This record gives sequence, C-alpha cells and structure tokens, in this order.
Amino acid sequence: MSDSNYSVRHILIGVWTAAVLMFVFLPSATILIASMTASRYFTFPITAFGFDWWSKTINSLEVRSLAYTSLSIAAVVTVIAVVLGFFGALAFARYDWRGRKLYQKFILLPIFFPQSVLGLALLLWFNALGFTLSWKTAVLAHLVWIAPVVTLVMAIQVYSFDPSLEEAATDLGASRWQTFREVTLPVLMPGIFSGSLFAFLLSWGNFPLSLFTTGADNTLPKYLYAKMVAGYTPGVPVLGTISTAAAAIVLFGGYVAMLLLTRNRKAAL
Amino acid sequence: MTAMSKPILQLKNVRKAFGTLAAVDDVNLSIGEGEFFTIVGPSGSGKTTLIRMLAGMEKPTSGDILLHDKRINDTPANERPTCMVFQSLALFPHRTVGQNIEFALKIRNVDPAVREKRARELMQQLHLPADYYSKNVTLCSGGERQRVALARALAFDPQILFFDEPLSAIDYKLRKTLEKELKDIHRETGKTFVYITHSLEEAMVMSDRIGVMRRGKLIQVGSPNEIYSTPRSRFVSEFMGDVNVIPVEANGAGSVRSQSLGASFKVPANSVEAKAQCLVVRPEFLRFLDTPAEAQNSLKGILYNEYALGSRIQYQVRVGEKVFLVEKLRQQPFKGKLDDEVLIGWDPENAILVADE
Ligand SMILES: Nc1ncnc2c1ncn2[C@@H]1O[C@H](COP(=O)(O)OP(=O)(O)OP(=O)(O)O)[C@@H](O)[C@H]1O
Ligand SMILES: [Mg+2]
Repeated sequence: MSDSNYSVRHILIGVWTAAVLMFVFLPSATILIASMTASRYFTFPITAFGFDWWSKTINSLEVRSLAYTSLSIAAVVTVIAVVLGFFGALAFARYDWRGRKLYQKFILLPIFFPQSVLGLALLLWFNALGFTLSWKTAVLAHLVWIAPVVTLVMAIQVYSFDPSLEEAATDLGASRWQTFREVTLPVLMPGIFSGSLFAFLLSWGNFPLSLFTTGADNTLPKYLYAKMVAGYTPGVPVLGTISTAAAAIVLFGGYVAMLLLTRNRKAAL
Repeated sequence: MTAMSKPILQLKNVRKAFGTLAAVDDVNLSIGEGEFFTIVGPSGSGKTTLIRMLAGMEKPTSGDILLHDKRINDTPANERPTCMVFQSLALFPHRTVGQNIEFALKIRNVDPAVREKRARELMQQLHLPADYYSKNVTLCSGGERQRVALARALAFDPQILFFDEPLSAIDYKLRKTLEKELKDIHRETGKTFVYITHSLEEAMVMSDRIGVMRRGKLIQVGSPNEIYSTPRSRFVSEFMGDVNVIPVEANGAGSVRSQSLGASFKVPANSVEAKAQCLVVRPEFLRFLDTPAEAQNSLKGILYNEYALGSRIQYQVRVGEKVFLVEKLRQQPFKGKLDDEVLIGWDPENAILVADE
C-alpha cells in the first residue's frame, strides 16, 4: 500500500519535473533545429535539412564583428562590475555603518527597474551629456543594472564570512593589506567568481539596454532582433544558437573551474 | 596570594563602554610572567571585551594597559607580541594545516623551508599526525582543529597567549584531554596564558590564579584554592559550584542567626561583620548525624531526593522551605531512606561568612 503510494509519488515527481524542464528548454532547442534548414524561409517543421546557413554565418565578417562587440562589452562590464560589486558587497554585508540599511535597499532597486525604461533614460542622459553612443556607452548602461546584481550575488557570500578570520590574521602580525590579500580576498574568491559569471552572462545576452545605448555599434542580441523584424534568413537561428551555446560554454566552463578551485583547496591528504 | 613573578601585563582602571553600557568597568589587575591566569564569569560579564582589549582588537574607553611597564593602549593588534586563540578558532578555511600554522612566519617572510620545519615541530608537539601537513584544515575534526589553532598561535611565538573559551564547543571527554595538553604546553613553553572560560572546573584544573568577573567588574582574584575556600561574596561562592547559602544576621560574638530557619549557628569568632551576610556551607562539609551532639551546628530535615555523582552521592534535605545539599562519599555508610527525618550538621570552621552580593 505505502509502497505503491511511494512509487506513484515518484512517477508524479518525474513527470512534473520533466514537463517543467521541457517547457524551459524546448524553445531553445527549436532554435537549433530551425538553424539546420536548407530553405530560405522560416518554416516549422523543417522539410529539408542543411548546414549552408551555418557556414555562411560563421564566415560572415559582420557576424564576427558583432560577436567581437558583444564580447568586448561583456568583458569590460565584468571587470568593472566585479570591482564595484566586491566593495559594494563588503559595505552591504560585512561592515556596520550609518546608512547601511538604506544603502542595502537602494542598491538593489535598479534590478527591478524595467530595463527598456532604464535604457531610454540612459539614452536621454548620454545625449544631454553629449556622449557619442557606442559600445562604451553600452558598458555604462549595462553597469547600471548589472553592478547591483553582482553586488547582491557577492553579498550572499560575504554574509557567511567570519570576521574573526581577519582579526586572527591581524593578530598574527598581518598588516591591513596583507590581511586583505592573504585572507579576505581568497576566502571570498568563490563569490567573486560567481559574481563575474553573472556579470558576463547578463551583459552578453542583454537586449533592452543595448538597444538604446550602443549607437552605431551592434551587439548580437540587437542584431538578432533587427534581422527578425526585417530581413529574416536562417542565419538568425544560427546566430541565436551560437549566442546561447557561448553562454552555456561560459557557464559550464565556470562550473568546472569552480570545481577544480574547491578541489585544489581541499587537497586530500 | 601566591608569590608572583615579575608582572608582564598590568591593567590600571581599565574601562570599556558601549554606549551607556560599561562592558568592562574599572578593572585593575596584574598578571605575572609565565602565569596561567583564568577569567571566569557568567555570560555578558565582559570577559571577551576585556581580553579583546588586551589583544588589541578593542581600545579601552579609559584606563591604561601596560606590557612590560610600557603603555600599549594604542598599539594595534598586529604590533603586539601577543596572540589569541578564538572561540570560533578562526582557522583559514582556504589553507592547509601547514599553511595555517605557518601563517605568522609567512607574514614575516621567513624562508619556506624554515617555516615548514617549525610547523612540523609544532605539529609533533601537539600530537598532530605528520601527514596532516598538507590536509585541508576544514577536513579536520574538532580536536584536531583545536590543536592547529594552538599551533598557529605558538608559531607566532607570542609573549602572551589569549584564549577565549576555545574548548566550549567540545565534548566532555575530549575537553578533559585538551585541558591537560594545554597545561602541558604551558609548562613546556613557559609563556603567559590568559584564559577565558565559563567552566569552573576548567578554571580549577588549569590556572595559577583565577579572576571572577561580574557585570564588567573584576570582583575577586586569587588562587583556585582561595577562590574555592574563601570566596568574598555570595556570587563567587555560588559560581564555584553547588553550595548551601543561608542569609544570616550577626548574633553576638561567634554566632549568627537565620530568620527564616529560626535557628542560630556558631561561626569562627573573628569572621562576624555587621554587613548583610550569608553563611556558606559546601555540600561536602555537611554530614548526616545520629545525635545533635556530633556537630556544633545541626538542623533537622526530611530526606527529599538523592543523586549519584560518580564517586559521591548528593542528597537533598528539606528544612522547612529551604533545600540543603549534602554530599558523602559512596563508600561511607548511610541508611537513610527518602522521606525519612534526618539530622544534618557541620562545624564552624567548615562554613564561611560572605557578603550578600
Ligand atoms: N561591539 C559591541 N557593541 C555593543 N555592546 C557590546 C559589544 N561587545 C560586547 N557588548 C556588550 O558588552 C557586554 C559584555 O560582553 P562580552 O562579550 O564581553 O561578555 P562575555 O563575558 O564574553 O560573555 P560570554 O560568556 O557570553 O561570551 C554584553 O552585554 C555585550 O552585549
Ligand atoms: Mg565571550
């Protein structure tokens, strides 16, 4: 009786989770399938398979420049967001100071701003300040949204940081800088790492902020949208697949690197 | 008081306030070189705050701390020749056992080979297996981590070692072992140890002298024996374990009277003072009597309950509203049964009069 209950429950759990995963992953898989068509038009299901569009896309100079722009933005955003986020997280979770409560609330607010409105607002600012729109203004725009996210991700790790570690290091003769380099930074490394993954991936895939702020420079998500609206070719799903795959590779690579990092730490005896 | 060596650490009217709360209040103390000094006191009495000031992690609001007669109030922790073992141990989780122990030496740019040699010596001295050198410290057991923390502090080669309840999270048996080891290390190194604990037993086992703290004040300092046998206040006597405390008033020479028990007791003639007082009798000095003549003070009561405490047995005896604790060795004969009427008594020299505070 209870045995069969048990197996029924397991079957239900299995069906449920499979359905949710399908719901989440199937659309992305469709892009992959759509990219493998031989035809010129967007049809589904596919009648004839072919990889022409893959080679065309990969060899296109335009696509390379797009990827390069997206990559540059994501890389610069990651570096700056990690620095801002790290010290922001220390202020958020490590130190007690007047105004901390207020800061904790306000720094998280931008995460919930509608991004298209934020993009528009930034566009107005850049115009007012006389900035020429380019990938550099997009970096600034991404940072407005991504730095708070990274701060939050890192703050979670900082909360579990035992402040007596720093005291112990100081007590053992370490200067402020030595304490930071030898203890604070390495202990918080996993948080810095996941923070930088977040920064990179959120910037890489961002469309609404880039739409308003890149000017003449073009990023992958923006290009995908433009092509979809006017001038569809199966190059669009190819590029979409490449973009998603790149994110997946970064994520998986990050995961592996993290595993290695913690394994090295726990160097078995 | 025991003859003290040259003072290494002196506290003069040291006070630390957090807002309006005086966490440490006007503490005066002198700790001798090579001494094992223990601070005991209930939670919130200011022990941690006091030791953090001594280690340089907190600055006194007023008063002076002197190390070798030099004022060190403003010397930061990393410039003091002292080292602390934290309650949380604060081992560096991203480092191996060896790297933890060598930390202070690395900070001083000591040659790696020399560092490793020193770390391995300390590991041997503290009974850590040699192959733990490259083991991650988070994989060590509680007792092992304890030893690593001590080794890390010893590698610093401090003049004074501070301990903030390092054994409080450890089970009884292991704690006993580590207490002994700590005392051995104290002997071997000859360094000054300042130790905080909640546990009277721990304090009694290890210390040369004990200081009792209460609400930020250091209320009594003395050898374990002095603290145990001549407490100055009701608080200290009660802190030192199970005692029988009877509020009394002076009643002429060599005698006090208890209002609530309606009885007078003989006390050593020189001990009576006018202040509000308590008569303290330890359970092991109370004994069962056959006739009142067997002791100079006696009370009649009902045997209420009994507890086996290993080699001793403790009894609760009710006298009116009051419960007395009586202890005897297991092998001493006693035929009393629960609810029997019994006679208990003690002699004046086995009781102490203390201030009622
Ligand atoms: N940084 C601080 N800010 C405000 N109050 C503090 C601070 N540190 C300690 N206190 C207060 O000072 C008093 C003494 O604290 P302390 O930690 O020294 O006690 P303790 O004797 O070590 O207690 P325990 O045995 O529980 O560790 C407590 O009332 C505590 O709340
Ligand atoms: Mg404490």
